[in-house]
Amino acid sequence: MAEKVSAKPKGQAKKHAAAEKHAAAEEEGLDPTQYFENRIRALASQKETGGNPYPHKFEVQLSIPEYVKKYESLNSEDRLEDVEVKLAGRIMNKRASSAKLLFYDLHGGGAKVQIMTDASKSELKGEDFSRFHSSVKRGDIVGIVGYPGKTKRGELSIYPKTFVVLSHCLHMMPRQKAGPRGGAENTKTTDVWIPGSARNPDAYILKDQETRYRQRYLDLMLNMEVREIFRTRSRIISYIRHFLDEREFLEVETPMMNMIAGGAAARPFVTHHNELNLKLFMRIAPELYLKELVVGGLDRVYEIGKQFRNEGIDLTHNPEFTTCEFYMAFADYNDLMRLTEDMLSGMVRELTGGYIIKYHANGLDQDPIEIDFTPPFRRIDMIEELERMANLNIPKDLSSEETNKYLVDACAKFGIKCPPPQTTTRLLDKLVGHFLEETCVNPAFIINHPEIMSPLAKWHRSKPGLTERFELFINKHELCNAYTELNDPVVQRQRFADQLKDRQSGDDEAMALDETFCTALEYGLPPTGGWGLGIDRFTMLLTDSQNIKEVLLFPAMKPQDDPSNRESNKKTQDGPLPQEFEKKATVT
Amino acid sequence: MEGALHPMRLKQLLHFAAFPKLNKTHFIFRNTRSFSTTRCASPSSSPTVAGARNRRPSSSQTSTSDREAIRAIRIKKVEELRSKGLDAYAYTWKRTHAANQLQEIYMDLGNGEEAACESDRVSIAGRIVARRAFGKLAFLTLRDDSGTIQLYCEKEKLLSDQFEHLKTLVDIGDILGAEGSIKRTEKGELSVCVTSFSILTKSLLPLPDKYHGLTDIDKRYRQRYVDMIANPEVADVFRKRAKIISEIRKTVESAGFIEVETPVLQGAAGGAEARPFITYHNSLGQDLYLRIATELHLKRMLVGGFEKVYEIGRIFRNEGLSTRHNPEFTTIEMYEAYTDYESMMNMAEEIVTRSALAVNGKLIIDYQGVEISLERPWRRETMHNLVKEATGIDFAMFEDLTAAKEVALEMLNAGGDNQNKSSIEACPSVGHVLNEVFELVVEPKLLQPTFVLDYPLEVSPLAKPHRRHAGLTERFELFVCGREMANAFSELTDPLDQRERLEDQVRQHKKKNASLVSEDKNKKVDGDDDAYDVNLDEDFLTALEYGMPPASGMGIGIDRLVMLLTNSASIRDVIAFPVLKTPQV
Repeated sequence: MAEKVSAKPKGQAKKHAAAEKHAAAEEEGLDPTQYFENRIRALASQKETGGNPYPHKFEVQLSIPEYVKKYESLNSEDRLEDVEVKLAGRIMNKRASSAKLLFYDLHGGGAKVQIMTDASKSELKGEDFSRFHSSVKRGDIVGIVGYPGKTKRGELSIYPKTFVVLSHCLHMMPRQKAGPRGGAENTKTTDVWIPGSARNPDAYILKDQETRYRQRYLDLMLNMEVREIFRTRSRIISYIRHFLDEREFLEVETPMMNMIAGGAAARPFVTHHNELNLKLFMRIAPELYLKELVVGGLDRVYEIGKQFRNEGIDLTHNPEFTTCEFYMAFADYNDLMRLTEDMLSGMVRELTGGYIIKYHANGLDQDPIEIDFTPPFRRIDMIEELERMANLNIPKDLSSEETNKYLVDACAKFGIKCPPPQTTTRLLDKLVGHFLEETCVNPAFIINHPEIMSPLAKWHRSKPGLTERFELFINKHELCNAYTELNDPVVQRQRFADQLKDRQSGDDEAMALDETFCTALEYGLPPTGGWGLGIDRFTMLLTDSQNIKEVLLFPAMKPQDDPSNRESNKKTQDGPLPQEFEKKATVT
Repeated sequence: MEGALHPMRLKQLLHFAAFPKLNKTHFIFRNTRSFSTTRCASPSSSPTVAGARNRRPSSSQTSTSDREAIRAIRIKKVEELRSKGLDAYAYTWKRTHAANQLQEIYMDLGNGEEAACESDRVSIAGRIVARRAFGKLAFLTLRDDSGTIQLYCEKEKLLSDQFEHLKTLVDIGDILGAEGSIKRTEKGELSVCVTSFSILTKSLLPLPDKYHGLTDIDKRYRQRYVDMIANPEVADVFRKRAKIISEIRKTVESAGFIEVETPVLQGAAGGAEARPFITYHNSLGQDLYLRIATELHLKRMLVGGFEKVYEIGRIFRNEGLSTRHNPEFTTIEMYEAYTDYESMMNMAEEIVTRSALAVNGKLIIDYQGVEISLERPWRRETMHNLVKEATGIDFAMFEDLTAAKEVALEMLNAGGDNQNKSSIEACPSVGHVLNEVFELVVEPKLLQPTFVLDYPLEVSPLAKPHRRHAGLTERFELFVCGREMANAFSELTDPLDQRERLEDQVRQHKKKNASLVSEDKNKKVDGDDDAYDVNLDEDFLTALEYGMPPASGMGIGIDRLVMLLTNSASIRDVIAFPVLKTPQV
């Protein structure tokens, strides 16, 4: 569809380019402030003469994609002069062929159509026509009443009788800088980008990342693909919701402001309620509340929502991010692995048409890798596989001093750095990162984590010292975290106490005791499987995004007036992903 | 803890714990009048004797020390289970049916009949909420997500010593998995004839007996899960809440809207007039505000070329608590390019009626004793006309603020209302006076759904000026039961006008702050001052300068809609974990 609309025959393109140059030249001379002031003046004079530069309503009959679909089968030079169509959208290109013949590109709903404006067909005559059209600028939002047709060269167009400006773009719209890729700003990939395929942000009209993220609306206007990223995000969430609803899960909302920030180990945001004079924490995970609801008898619950962590901003971390957590009574982690496979492979297939996606894992200058979501996913028993891969023989009592020493030595042997505090948990985490996570490009479950690493997971039914937990890794990143929930309140309290020990030895990522939650467990939590997915990270995979900012409409940005930030930002963007990242930031 | 109780006392205590007093809430089920208590513990784990004292026979609340005692006994039972090689905390359970499914499938099974084919072997799981035990027979009531069913446990039909376990190790509150065939008792109770069961989760604390008692109202909200165990209809409210939100999503998505997520943490909190929560981001070294509305970011999406967007999400306002206010609450905001507020009225009708049908199946509903008809179309009337209708005053006549105030005050005096004089006197414009009179006199009377149209410009900083009436905006609010449910306008798209209006709002706010500060000085009010800063969202104004299409937008308070459709008196009844006044200890 887009091929037909946007691909332009070469001859015409040349002619247009010339005309465009002319149109651009009259504006290019102005600096942005001058341009802005000119436009403000024009609006003011329109208001003075009693005009309303911002009409209240323009009745739109068809969206632009609907228009394209309806009329794309016309033949060249077909003109349906008896048909009246009303369209509206933003003008992204203006080319004057003569004072009496102008071409515009009208964009809307992710599609575009040409407006061929001929003085002889317009309601405006002579001078009025030229004056009006010289006032219409690139970026303006217009309403068109006209008839459909195709030009000699087969380009679908609308031929206006009435042409109204509905809203004005007061700023000069950024243009693509002339470069080796060819100067015509209309150079666009002719294929519509679909989820799971590779993207090339280097070819975007608006490339500057700062501008793209700070003024997302410009990014959306100028870079057609960006809209598809966010539509993909919306479809991912909608798929998950549908998947869970179908299985009789109930969507619930738990508080984002908590008295204790529990359910994960992370530094929370602190705020204050004035009237109650109450210190509140922004939630870092909904886990404990959701389990309380399962205690209350809601056997299957989920929540899709924001979590907040007061941490640094980088390629995979934003202070607020979106997760889905679900809890399913009477299920264990084996059930959840199957459910995960069904959900994710099903989603990839529905959104991309197949199980294999392309992703620029090694930077945009390298070829994209393929990630295969065909179920079942590989299962890697953490300790067993670590011992095999690294040829280790870790002492069975993982909480002992002996083990700690063994692991310190192991890390030293392989040159794996583990900054203090060197708790057994952290040492294991580094080793697993080095030996196991690195091998997980296609989706793979790392399973059966030690108890000391998993304070909320249930001890393994047959492997002492371990838990029934899995993490799903894709492209070496943690996407899901799930376990058979620990529901023995006595053991839960003990685990919290152990965490406290780690805290005291300096690990501020150890979890705090939540007394309310422990009391809830004492009323009885049924056997339950619990699961969390980082939605931003999953969206990154399906949209070939290497920076989390690509999938957040309004990402948190460092304070603006610091040029050093800009530089470092660019540098990291092009480089490969860091080998290691902090796990805790995805889920639960 | 161990060994602190006399056996007699223990028995009594368990009795109270396990069989709460019957009361008008539906806690315990039919046929539970004659029962025997279970034995508190097996001999091996019997605590040793210590001094006994009399118990208050009708205590409605188990005291802390009693709870601790029960907890200790039940922990013993956990140990005993483990010593027998049984797990007190099972890993999983394969269910074949939910309780309600069975009730439906076997609806026609006659009293005294059994269904004992191979296909009638079922497996269920849930919480034990009542129990009666006789010599060789025990009846348990099991409740799951869907409803309840009776477990019919005959000693002969159970494996080896399972019946003993049932009597000694199972308490009310435990979560059980059970297998068996189906029968309906002579008394008509559909039952699972249990052949085997296992304890899936041992509960350590006794279920409370009375959670709707006035004294426990705080605890109901604080320990929502206990509230839900004790009162199954509480869970229904949350089921309906989910259904309503799901129906809203379906409605707007079928109209082509796409869901987006905009930030909660913002550099400036705009889009409404409310005190924001403030937090601090360590690595950015910057104060951040929690959003008080999603409006300004969603409008940026329209600038970016999305034509129909919505967001359902949490909003935060640093304000007091009431039956209608919680510091965090849920709204839907939606924006549609190339439409005006007329079309949003239709959308509001569509959303509310479809939600009502989804949860109630009808459009005539009862809200706290008032019958509300949601049949379309709903009344649409201008604010001016509604005020005129109620007071006889036509504020459209007034150019002069003083004159408007005089008339308004006179009207209030006549009604004997002296309390609200100051709010009228504080009004900086005729529009404010009109709005004030509307809120005082008209709002509470708008019981049936009513669209109030065309608000004064002065109180509507983000709405487009009315195309025909100077001084008014194209804005409506929807009222049901005297409560605002929705707020919508033809959006202001003129960036210059918008800048002026927001600047004016900031000026007014500063003026108010200044007067508060001086008042504070006089009164020496303790605690936080009421002042807070309002900043211009420059980025939003810049976005408008790039051109936003003509559009309409609407916000609906989802908590209030859920209150209306579930007949809930307080917002705390529709929020699973509301913020409470007294902090938890």
